[in-house]
Amino acid sequence: MSENKLNKEQLLLDLLKKKFILNESAVRRAKRVEVKVDPKEIIPVLLYAKENSRYISFAHMSCVDWIEDGEFEVVYILWNPEDKINLFVKTRISRDNGVLPNIDFIWRQANTYEREIREMFGIQFEGLVGRQEFILEDWEHMPPMRRDFDTAEFVKKTYFKRPGREDAKDVREFVQERTDEELPDFAKKYSRD
Amino acid sequence: MAFFDLKGLLSPVTGLKQFGKKPHTIMFPDVAEHASDRYRGLHFNKLEDCIGCGNCSTICMNEAIDMIQIAGYEGKKGDSGLRPRVDNGRCCWCALCVEVCPTGSLNLTKDYIFVTPDANDFLWTPGIDNKEKGEENISFYSDKETSLSDYSRVPMRELDGDVRIQSFAEAVLGYNEEEARKEASRCISCGLCTESCPDHMHIPEYINAIARENDEDALRIIYDNNPLPEMCGKVCTRRCEDVCAMTHRGDAIAIRWLKRYATETAKNAEIIKEIVNPEIKEANGKKISIIGAGPSGLTAGYYLALRGFDVTIYEAKAKAGGMTFYGIPKYRLPAESLEKQVGYMQSIGVKINFNTRVGKDIDFKEIYNNSDAVFMGVGFEKPWTLGITGEDLNGSLQAVTYLDVINGGGDMEIGDKVAVIGGGNVAIDAARVARRKGADVTIVYRRRVEDMPADWEEIEGAEDEGVHIMPQGIPIEVIGDKNGKVTGLKFARAEMIPDPDGGRPRPKQIEGSEEIMEVTSVIGAIGQEGDYSFIPDDMKNQIKIERGRFVVDENKQTTLPKLFAGGDSANRTADAISAIADGFRAVKAIEKMLMK
Amino acid sequence: MREKTTTLYLGPQHPGITGNMMVKLQVQGDTVVKAETHVGYLHRGFEKLMERRNWLQSFTIVCRICVPEPDPNEENYSRAVEEIEGREVPERAKYIRVMTLELARIATYLLWYGGQSGSAGLYTMGQWSVGDRNYILDLFEDLTGGRIYHMYIWPGGVRRDLPKGFKDKALRTMDYIEKRLDDYDKLLFENSIFQKRAKGVGIIDKKKAVEWGVVGPPLRGCGIKSDVRIDDPYEVYDKLDFEVPAMEGGDVWTRALIRRFEIRQSINLVRQALDKMPGGEYYNKIPNPHKWTIPAGDAFVKTESARGEFGYYMVSDGGNKPRRVHVKGPAYVHGVSLLENLLEGENIADVSFIMNSLGTCPPEIER
Ligand SMILES: Cc1cc2nc3c(=O)[nH]c(=O)nc-3n(C[C@H](O)[C@H](O)[C@H](O)COP(=O)(O)OP(=O)(O)OC[C@H]3O[C@@H](n4cnc5c(N)ncnc54)[C@H](O)[C@@H]3O)c2cc1C
Ligand code: SF4
Repeated sequence: MSENKLNKEQLLLDLLKKKFILNESAVRRAKRVEVKVDPKEIIPVLLYAKENSRYISFAHMSCVDWIEDGEFEVVYILWNPEDKINLFVKTRISRDNGVLPNIDFIWRQANTYEREIREMFGIQFEGLVGRQEFILEDWEHMPPMRRDFDTAEFVKKTYFKRPGREDAKDVREFVQERTDEELPDFAKKYSRD
Repeated sequence: MAFFDLKGLLSPVTGLKQFGKKPHTIMFPDVAEHASDRYRGLHFNKLEDCIGCGNCSTICMNEAIDMIQIAGYEGKKGDSGLRPRVDNGRCCWCALCVEVCPTGSLNLTKDYIFVTPDANDFLWTPGIDNKEKGEENISFYSDKETSLSDYSRVPMRELDGDVRIQSFAEAVLGYNEEEARKEASRCISCGLCTESCPDHMHIPEYINAIARENDEDALRIIYDNNPLPEMCGKVCTRRCEDVCAMTHRGDAIAIRWLKRYATETAKNAEIIKEIVNPEIKEANGKKISIIGAGPSGLTAGYYLALRGFDVTIYEAKAKAGGMTFYGIPKYRLPAESLEKQVGYMQSIGVKINFNTRVGKDIDFKEIYNNSDAVFMGVGFEKPWTLGITGEDLNGSLQAVTYLDVINGGGDMEIGDKVAVIGGGNVAIDAARVARRKGADVTIVYRRRVEDMPADWEEIEGAEDEGVHIMPQGIPIEVIGDKNGKVTGLKFARAEMIPDPDGGRPRPKQIEGSEEIMEVTSVIGAIGQEGDYSFIPDDMKNQIKIERGRFVVDENKQTTLPKLFAGGDSANRTADAISAIADGFRAVKAIEKMLMK
Repeated sequence: MREKTTTLYLGPQHPGITGNMMVKLQVQGDTVVKAETHVGYLHRGFEKLMERRNWLQSFTIVCRICVPEPDPNEENYSRAVEEIEGREVPERAKYIRVMTLELARIATYLLWYGGQSGSAGLYTMGQWSVGDRNYILDLFEDLTGGRIYHMYIWPGGVRRDLPKGFKDKALRTMDYIEKRLDDYDKLLFENSIFQKRAKGVGIIDKKKAVEWGVVGPPLRGCGIKSDVRIDDPYEVYDKLDFEVPAMEGGDVWTRALIRRFEIRQSINLVRQALDKMPGGEYYNKIPNPHKWTIPAGDAFVKTESARGEFGYYMVSDGGNKPRRVHVKGPAYVHGVSLLENLLEGENIADVSFIMNSLGTCPPEIER
């Protein structure tokens, strides 16, 4: 895609740059513009996009657990039906007790997303009204979409294995037992999983 | 809209015209629905083609496949002996198992009706539980084109044949990082190869480390049971690759080249010191003597030294490496590479006494009595002769002798037209060295090219360099002139007679087909044997030797408890990696014997 | 006199509701005064499962998000992977993908005919259209080896090339379905019962529609031309000739008319795709799936499914498994905030009728 074809995208970016403090920003490709902001900038940026830049439609909202960094990344994806551009607004908050502003007064359907993210990741949205339980029922463990929630471990503890499959063998170990190979412990993390 | 909308009431009634039309439904079971040619129904496994690699089991995201033992299928090299069993209660018929099956033995069939009152029946073994109906119903299969196994090896870059013969520079150039990662990522980590490696190296693990961009860990894993990996990375006979799951439809993973890559990336890095120089155990006061600094002796020396033993190697020659130094030509294994690896060993305390032939420069008994254990890795030094007339002529010589001189830095007059006799790797080496010395070379071999025991890459390499191969030629006599100088080789043509017992066909001389090839020298390369004259006769009686080899148990222990042996003079596989494996096993046994 | 408010639970097992979900209704007489969507009966944690499965294994999961129309999920998943990885897809594969997506749209609309009319008590329509849908499923079976879950569009292209004779069979089936649509018109659209039930019911306010995130036929039924295939074209939709219908009205009836138009258009698109499809490769093979890693990055891709925009937000951390796959189906908006709002003031008997017209489908709300 040539430079001048990305006119509209660049225009939007310049506008946002002038108005707000952006931590990072880029035209990702045609129809995709991305900005990263601090949590406190979320409402101003979203409102500005909706009221002044015709990003009137709320397309998606998602959360990613970056457990290594101790952070959640929340992304708001907006849609401008005239320019046909998706704007990504990303922000990061602490995994421990990060709080985000509630935005369902800007787009009512954001309420559904926020309820899900609250339930699945444990992020609180300031002022969010709505039933606590959404998808889960009587859930008493940590919010399950956090990466430290180990599904396999949970399954092992919660359910029993179907009987009759105990005779399964691991191919690598089975062949190894036929020889005198001794696999050192530090190498095992490279064995097939 | 008016309350009484006539059209709106009558239109739907036209549906009545469907009465009396042939119904779209079919009567089951009178007419069974015929599944399509690609239908993804119940599994079928061609048990004979299956190698039990378990790739189906690891790709199945429903954990529906178990690998189990089945009566009548014993494991062997290249076959784990296990076969997949599917839990049809979990299967979702995604057929990923089919897509990744490297042999193509696993398929899905058109069969989809499976009703049973007993949930245990859902556990069933494709190929056994549908033995009759399976094969003809195969519908969803993967062929070489659709399969998700990556069957094509990343090609190895090498010098062109005409450049190669100009010098003894290394012919193979080695993978760069990108090539190595790509090649490593083809591996499915089944580990069937480990059984075929005489040393049982941890192949899937080090390949995976390379794929995951951790070359240091790869090297660490390699050094766990092989202290000469750079050498093996260049010249190993790679029995592992013969049984690689990919060979069933394509190229084996380049296991040897990946090992080479791992050793070469760490070439000058600090890391190599840390890896070859891990915590050395405190000296334990036990003395071990080793005869021969070939791969078996060096391996034993290295791992014994790491374990705190006092190690001395006695080596008749001026350089370490045995046949890997004096036999293998330098364009395959440069001297510096070997010397560097031997240097690492010396740096951790392995003492090597060069130019010290046991039995001549030092007495065997003396060594034996002064040591807590002795390891012999003396190899096969004495070449066999062809046993035909004219072999004593000037210009008739043996390959290992010729290579020994060249590799030792000397030179030998062979003239400009050479016949090499034999079909193994030694013959090819001699031929390719002679080519580099400027001679026109023909290899004369009794059987067909496809019967040659030499590595196919070696044969191709030789042909690229302009070596002629004359198959089905039987040498009869070396012919010389008045001065006793070789002038020709008399040979006959052979026809191949099928072996009634199903073995490979035998060559039979065709009457009257004798010809004479004009040559300046004849190089024989048909095998070697050991020379054990260094052992005094009174001890020889106690050491069992059969067919020219020391008889050893799985601990590499001879019939004399303190005496261990390995390498060419104790195994039948006669290659570097077998020698290394022997050395390593002897180390474990010696440690067990002395440190209990 | 104020009428007493009663609580009514519609679902989670209810023939008028697609899938298992429940709408908790506060009713006064026959009128709904408040509605609340309750989901969770179908939560299988697909997005979580994908954290533990490699890029190829995860592909087999996504189709399960939508039974009637799994293909947009496969296509979205694949295209998101391809966008992050930078993997090229052969032109032929793109045409095959479009054809598959349009076939899926036809099949879904045929099922919708059944659901929409069934919830109005007109059962013959459903018997016909679901029976005819089977002919599309036959095509899928020939093409992919599966009738419902096709697992056919995958990263790099499609799994197998068209089988022999497929084109003819597909064209014959299209002709047949097209002919049948006239019968359907007589049975459904000209039926005054259906007209009376559908007109003026479940009206979406045009001014609010875009802002609320309404998509697909419900949005076009508000007179707004919006379709991912045109607005953000993917695969080869920009090379095909078709129109996005839009009609003012915003009620169940307009939405039905939109679908009536679109099913004909999809038949046409299948013909076009088959006609313009070039030869050549159908697949750009991925490496050994166990060791296949995707460079770090993220992507948001969209397709126009029969029920509206399907979006996939995907993140890779550079490893051999997805870091995050977040699926947003049209029902996520239609089935919760929009539905709760629309039902207020409607008649109880129209609840599932309206739900069918919105295409609410719980599996994509909770995945
Ligand atoms: C031409 C040629 C090419 C080959 N190519 C390959 C190849 O590509 N790949 C491969 O894997 N293998 C190859 N081999 C085989 C491989 O070199 C041998 O299998 C391997 O070296 C055997 O090791 P070893 O430890 O048994 O002893 P050797 O390597 O044979 O070494 C024995 C050592 O003992 C010393 N010695 C013997 N007697 C005494 C004594 N009395 N006192 C002191 N020292 C003594 C010798 O001087 C020698 O250094 C090749 C062999 C030859 C001849
Ligand atoms: S078809 Fe799919 S689910 Fe069934 S056993 Fe094979 S990989 Fe597993």
